[in-house]
Amino acid sequence: MAYLGLGIHVKDDPIQSMAPGRRFAVKCVLLEAAFVVVLGAVFAFAANQVSPRGLALMRNYFPEGTGRLVSATPPATLPSNATGTNSMPVNPAQLLAAELKEKGLQLADGSQAVRLFHDPRFKQDIVVFIDARDEQHYREGHIPGAYEFDPYRPEKYFGAVLPVCKAAEQIVVYCNGGDCDDSETAAILLRDVGIANQKLLVYGGGIMEWTTNGLPVETGGRNSGDLRNSSK
Amino acid sequence: MNTGQPNWNRIALNLSTVLVRWLMGAVFLYTGLSKALHPVDFLKLVRQYDLVQSSLLLNSIAAGLPWFEIFCGLLLLAGVAVRGAALTLLLMLVPFTVLVFHRALAIQSALAIPFCAVKFDCGCGTGVVFICHKLLENFLLILMSGWLLAGYGRQFSLRFGLIKPHTQQG
Repeated sequence: MAYLGLGIHVKDDPIQSMAPGRRFAVKCVLLEAAFVVVLGAVFAFAANQVSPRGLALMRNYFPEGTGRLVSATPPATLPSNATGTNSMPVNPAQLLAAELKEKGLQLADGSQAVRLFHDPRFKQDIVVFIDARDEQHYREGHIPGAYEFDPYRPEKYFGAVLPVCKAAEQIVVYCNGGDCDDSETAAILLRDVGIANQKLLVYGGGIMEWTTNGLPVETGGRNSGDLRNSSK
Repeated sequence: MNTGQPNWNRIALNLSTVLVRWLMGAVFLYTGLSKALHPVDFLKLVRQYDLVQSSLLLNSIAAGLPWFEIFCGLLLLAGVAVRGAALTLLLMLVPFTVLVFHRALAIQSALAIPFCAVKFDCGCGTGVVFICHKLLENFLLILMSGWLLAGYGRQFSLRFGLIKPHTQQG
């Protein structure tokens, strides 16, 4: 026990109370751990800096308004049922539409996406599809003619996508579907750089719904011509 | 009295400790690489824990943690600063396990399903996993870190301890 004055007794430092050999071993381990932490942190941030896939530390990857996954409360604009209450279950599409509406975005359902895909204006880039997944997923299969736009690497794609979006009348943004909210992130990014809100549609079903419905997908780059029909 | 007989228990303990060290090193190298190769996916998973509000802090965690795991994994595989690396991993594993457990509890109460039926991608580098498997795996990793801290199995190490012990006189 150590006496600190004022009648307060505290237990000795556990390291001090050990046998000298053991105390030295504990100190060595603590010093080593400190070394590992410091050198590991330096290594980690240097590796992130060097890696072509590294994150930009100063960038906000989740612009204001995105984040469907972390939202725990239902949106205020949740559609009411006939009795005017929200006690009845609301289907996921309605919920998503309400969430998007709160963010000033519109939801496109599967039939609307297919209709726009077959719209003659699609061939003239007046209707545009934007794939908001990463490069690997895009190359594995995207909606034919869709532009690649990974919202977490926007600087790489703005050059090709922005002029097209500015000229387009309707822009359909999609990602995987399901829990994926990258299409929202991409739509908000596009809106933030000046694309009119009313042009933007978020295809909630995404590529999963598209392929489940047996619609064609294109592999490789845009307009590679490498089309395949996804199995229904 | 030295009988000249090899101490088989000691040999088995040392060899099993070396195997544990290599296993842990390989696990952290694998999980670290799987996150470092897809940092944006990992960033999104970290964000779901809602730990920090600052984007700089969030990015730093998502950018640094995978490479830090790789670093620790490499140290264990090579046998450098083994106990320091084991202590560091132990100190990381405990809070991570608590966080994953809390998240699983939240999912369980939201979905009203049995605890062990909860499965999600915890950002641990192994994809979507059942929570009970994940907790068991983390428990084993914590045990293995503790085992390595004991200091056995110095064979096949480049530099087991960074600090040389004092030489006693007399």
